[in-house]
Amino acid sequence: MTPTETLDAAPTLGVLYGRALLTARSGGTTLPDRRLELAGVRIDADAVADYDHVCGFSVGGVVPPTYPHMLAFPLQMRLMTDREFPLPAPGMVHLRNVITQARPPEVGEPLRVAVHADRLAAHPKGAQVDLVTAVTDADGAEIWGSRSTYFVRGAPAPAGADDVPAAPREPDPRVGRLPHAIWKVPGDIGRRYAAVSGDVNPIHVNGLAARAFGMPGMIAHGMWTKASALAALAGRHGPAFTVDVVFKAPVRAPSTVYFHTAAVDGGWDAELVSPKGRDHLLLTLREA
Amino acid sequence: MPSASSALPRRAAIVGANRIPFARSNGAYARASNQDMLTAALDGLVARFGLAGERLGEVASGAVLKHSRDFNLTREAVLGSRLSAATPTYDLQQACGTSLQTTLQVANKIALGQIESGVASGVDTTSDAPIEVNDDLRRVLLAANRATSTAGVLKALGGLRPGQVVPEIPANREPRTGMAMGEHAAQTAAAWGISRTAQDEITVASHRNLAAAYERGFFDDLLTPFLGVTRDDNLRADSTLEGLAKLRPVFKPAGYSDTEATMTAANSTPLTDGAATVLLASDEWAAERHLPVLAHFVDAETAAVDYVHGDEGLLMAPTYAVPRLLERNGLTLQDFDFYEFHEAFASTILATFAAWEDPIFCKERLGLDEPLGSFDRSKLNVAGSSLATGHPFAATGARIVPTLAKLLHEKSAQEGSDTVRGLISICAAGGQGVVAILEV
Repeated sequence: MTPTETLDAAPTLGVLYGRALLTARSGGTTLPDRRLELAGVRIDADAVADYDHVCGFSVGGVVPPTYPHMLAFPLQMRLMTDREFPLPAPGMVHLRNVITQARPPEVGEPLRVAVHADRLAAHPKGAQVDLVTAVTDADGAEIWGSRSTYFVRGAPAPAGADDVPAAPREPDPRVGRLPHAIWKVPGDIGRRYAAVSGDVNPIHVNGLAARAFGMPGMIAHGMWTKASALAALAGRHGPAFTVDVVFKAPVRAPSTVYFHTAAVDGGWDAELVSPKGRDHLLLTLREA
Repeated sequence: MPSASSALPRRAAIVGANRIPFARSNGAYARASNQDMLTAALDGLVARFGLAGERLGEVASGAVLKHSRDFNLTREAVLGSRLSAATPTYDLQQACGTSLQTTLQVANKIALGQIESGVASGVDTTSDAPIEVNDDLRRVLLAANRATSTAGVLKALGGLRPGQVVPEIPANREPRTGMAMGEHAAQTAAAWGISRTAQDEITVASHRNLAAAYERGFFDDLLTPFLGVTRDDNLRADSTLEGLAKLRPVFKPAGYSDTEATMTAANSTPLTDGAATVLLASDEWAAERHLPVLAHFVDAETAAVDYVHGDEGLLMAPTYAVPRLLERNGLTLQDFDFYEFHEAFASTILATFAAWEDPIFCKERLGLDEPLGSFDRSKLNVAGSSLATGHPFAATGARIVPTLAKLLHEKSAQEGSDTVRGLISICAAGGQGVVAILEV
């Protein structure tokens, strides 16, 4: 059984990034066998309103399905910025995020958020790792779970990477040729999303730093694009579903991107593409 | 054939109308507000029909672009007009459908006997538009306003950054799609393969028909000059196909190649300022005052489409509204003497006509066994329409209703007692559309 470490309060992300940038890592080759947990977490209505404003959700509606990621991400970062964690956190790129929601969490209800790392694997251009989150309610029922896959360019392939079970097939949305919406991604979206999420990863908030990490320039947070896509589908699906997203080419900020949607059996397909047809985000939402 | 609308106790009469000439944005009316223009249009109506001091059943109006201080825009206009101050009012907004919808509201109350008379109207200015501070600044200022101490105010204002003082000017853009109305229409035009030439032909006809209507004095009793303007100043009587062919497309259809862009500044309506009013009444009310009845309001239908995710064009709702209205009234698309189609874009009405001629669209989207078919295009917008007059969003319905009523009245007077009938269709932002039938 993986040992569980319970924290008293959510870690501060800026401090974690700073520590990750400044502290020498031991560069271990295996994942830490530990689970981080935060109990008695309560979602704050004002924080959700700030998040709603940045991502396009309605204030006062259900808690957005991407919002619990805000509770989990500091724990994920705490795990990934530890000295023995095999991959460096700064410059990490989000490749995929799968959320399964049994029901939306309520503002103010006591929640337990648990995070562990999984599936450290080779990637054609580096290495990748999954961070798995479970959000349980007071009855112990898992109401929300997610699996985020992060990639580090140029990181050495870890030992035993071949033994990692293959990830489930990537979403393969089928949408029409015509965009349903044109998004003007603001130049300051990285700063705005960082302000509500605490995710101050330099690739989102500083052009020079982004280029230093191999990006074409400042890029929007992947989870902002996923949240915005779900905001566009608000009211068009039920409360229980799985929404699977792969992040392809990063979305630069500022930029213009096309959003395509299609109602399909049991849910929605959606894509975010560049005006020239380059994939940015592929999404499938399937109702439970 | 009995129809649902014949179940109404009576039909509202269209007595007459008054509007001010429409003026291109930031031109002749740049310094006039919505309230100024609406008051002028109302006072012209009062003068024409001797309504000074009269208490009407109601005045219903609205504007699409409205200052927050204008929450009671219509009431303020009536209080500043020569109508009795005891005339109640309300504001209604349904984008470009606003003043056909106010006509429908007033006509229904008259039909039900709740009122005997009323004015339906609409007004819009894109020149004297409300300018908003951007959302960041607005939230900072609202937070400062909520603060109860000086320190709290200073703390809230401390959050200000230079970029936040850039104002936001209202844009003709759909919030959920980020696309301008013209960009939506360009997609629909490309989807239906609407040619540039067909659009330019509609445009030339609109200008020529409007010019001819002015020449024969058609608008003499429908319009009052305002700020020195005597005719819609967008009118180009000498508009030609050759001239229009030289213009470059201005709206790109996202998802198509740029070569499929066909919509120009001429075959799209320009931003316009103006106000229009229509006087409706019961036949008895009109007779008591020895006022004419131009036509009667028969029935109307409002439709909406899912342009956000549903693969229907933003401006295609009238395509759905008309067949429902026809069925309820036991009519076919061919049963009309005049067709008044709001020309938001020439391509919009052409896509609507193409859809009605397409058996697959009519079957799959409208649930009809037979397509609605085509109609005699020589009966379309015979006194010009929005491409020539311009299109102050909320005022367009109240321009079209009296235009059609007068056309019907003229034709009826020329030809005797047979029923003369006309169809109105107006598409609106938000994927909505209002359509109506008038009869003499």
